[in-house]
Amino acid sequence: MAAGKENKVMSAAQAVGMIRDGDTVAIQGMGTQMSPLALVREIIKARKRNLIAAMIVGGIGLDWLIAAGCVKKVMAIIVNLDEFGMANAFRRAVEAGELMMEEYTEHQMLTRFSAGCYGLPFMTTQSGIGSAIVDLHPDTTKVIDCPFTGQKVIACRALTPDVCILHAHRADEVGNVQFFPKPIWGDVDVFPRASKKVIVTVEEIVSTDEIRRTPERTGLPYFKVDAVVPVKYGAHPCSLFPRYNFDRQVMERYAAESRTPEGTQAFLEKYVRAPRTQEDYLDLVGGSTMEARIQSFWS
Amino acid sequence: MSKLSEDYTIDELMVVTLARQFTDADIMLNGTVSYIPVSAFMLARETHAPKLTWVAGAVGVDADPGYIVGNTLDPTMWKDCVMYLPQISDMWGYVHSNTLETFCIRGAQIDKYGNVNNSVIGKDYHRPKVRLPGSAGMGDMCSLHKKIYIWSTTHNPRTFVDKVDFLAAPGYLDGGDARAKLGLRNGPEVVVTDLCVMDFEPTSKRMRLKSVHRGVSAKQVQDETGFELVTPDHVLETPAPSVEEIELLRKKIDPKNMRKIEFRGSKTKV
Ligand SMILES: CC(C)(COP(=O)(O)OP(=O)(O)OC[C@H]1O[C@@H](n2cnc3c(N)ncnc32)[C@H](O)[C@@H]1OP(=O)(O)O)[C@@H](O)C(=O)NCCC(=O)NCCS
Repeated sequence: MAAGKENKVMSAAQAVGMIRDGDTVAIQGMGTQMSPLALVREIIKARKRNLIAAMIVGGIGLDWLIAAGCVKKVMAIIVNLDEFGMANAFRRAVEAGELMMEEYTEHQMLTRFSAGCYGLPFMTTQSGIGSAIVDLHPDTTKVIDCPFTGQKVIACRALTPDVCILHAHRADEVGNVQFFPKPIWGDVDVFPRASKKVIVTVEEIVSTDEIRRTPERTGLPYFKVDAVVPVKYGAHPCSLFPRYNFDRQVMERYAAESRTPEGTQAFLEKYVRAPRTQEDYLDLVGGSTMEARIQSFWS
Repeated sequence: MSKLSEDYTIDELMVVTLARQFTDADIMLNGTVSYIPVSAFMLARETHAPKLTWVAGAVGVDADPGYIVGNTLDPTMWKDCVMYLPQISDMWGYVHSNTLETFCIRGAQIDKYGNVNNSVIGKDYHRPKVRLPGSAGMGDMCSLHKKIYIWSTTHNPRTFVDKVDFLAAPGYLDGGDARAKLGLRNGPEVVVTDLCVMDFEPTSKRMRLKSVHRGVSAKQVQDETGFELVTPDHVLETPAPSVEEIELLRKKIDPKNMRKIEFRGSKTKV
């Protein structure tokens, strides 16, 4: 199903309306970089429930979603806050039996998405032979024999999420999305192409003529994009390289406060639920001092 | 021979020891929370292996960030690289085709055959005692014929266990030829911890003590290990770093001491 060439610019709240309870949502992100966190905050405010979060690396955004009770299952290869340590809400929820973690090796996960991109029922990988990970989910990964050589390979069932959410540098109104540098991460590459709907938040909206000047930077064409949401600092407190760095102060605060359930909820209340708009949120995390904090990558 | 350092700390010794494992022929990738290996790659390039290739954060080919700025997957690590490696087509292609042959991993549990677990503690995967971050790239790399270098800052019976609770990253499985029988080549080569260096006995594939760090005895290592180590009659002391190596590490490669983050849960104070 291809999207048209119409103007797709909308608010975060409108875009989140495309996500239904129970949907499988592919969420771009790493421990500290490139994640649509403004949109994640909006999902929490909209009280979405029973989502299945599909990621490669789950980070702070996923931990917020879990703490807010939006997620029933995670599909990922790792969930952590990178240098800031464990994702505590994730850890507690799994240990309490409240959250399912469907763990994959990285290439199994990417292969599931790749099959989804091509519309194939499955694709194969060698990755994970000998590991117990392959046995965790017999409905989606299975060791089979290569029909030509007899070699053991792992069939990875296609994953076609209902919605994909991404944050990027810029786009035009119809949804030609540009990244600097162009997609190198697996999530930006296969997540949107495998998904039924794609919501992209961007730092700025530019004209289509501007996009035409640097087509080599376009990672997604308009016909694969359903919603374009302009959000300045839309990845904060994660980074959007090379535009701004992650916010060490906020990451550290969350890592510390999330060590208890109460601390986590207090953080959510203050930083996620209370700010009515992205502007309120940016003021809360320091406004121009925050901007100065994340200006430089080199310190 | 350059002068030996006398004031080195254990984190520094671990970096230097790991660095000395690598040669000009190696192409190294790194993953999450990998300060010790990243420091080691950068140090090897500054000393005995100037042609070693490091793909920073598995993205930045032959990057030269100068020093460790942030975390090991951060884009700052890609500075001055010659190419951003697209993950799916290129990086995983080179990994599967064995163009890249080596990888470094750490885990919450490591067993006597070099199997590694960073997923769950407890026997029930779905209701674990401790939910750990997850296997990330180690489940891939250990089944894709790589030479695996294991590091750990927590050499104690909780980390070094008889058998991993969950087999995330296959080492030598049940030992002997179990790994080879599955068609998996290579496997764990060396284990560098905060107490010692170990390798694997060639036939049984059991972990074997190779050298102890300054001030540590073989008995102490055995006491801190949850299984019986193969221990030769004469255990050497881990060779000390040179003054030059330590200066490079402290002043140039990791002046912000980012590598010390890895000692959060360690009894060894650095
Ligand atoms: C190993 C690793 C989980 C340690 O995490 P850390 O945050 O640095 O250190 P900690 O020692 O504080 O461990 C985190 C928690 O796990 C617990 N833990 C760790 N190992 C444990 C074990 N063997 N048994 C029980 N609990 C364990 C700790 O107790 C701690 O929980 P607590 O705070 O409630 O006490 C982490 O460094 C990691 O994921 N490393 C992987 C690096 C790697 O291999 N990268 C390349 C592949 S991509």
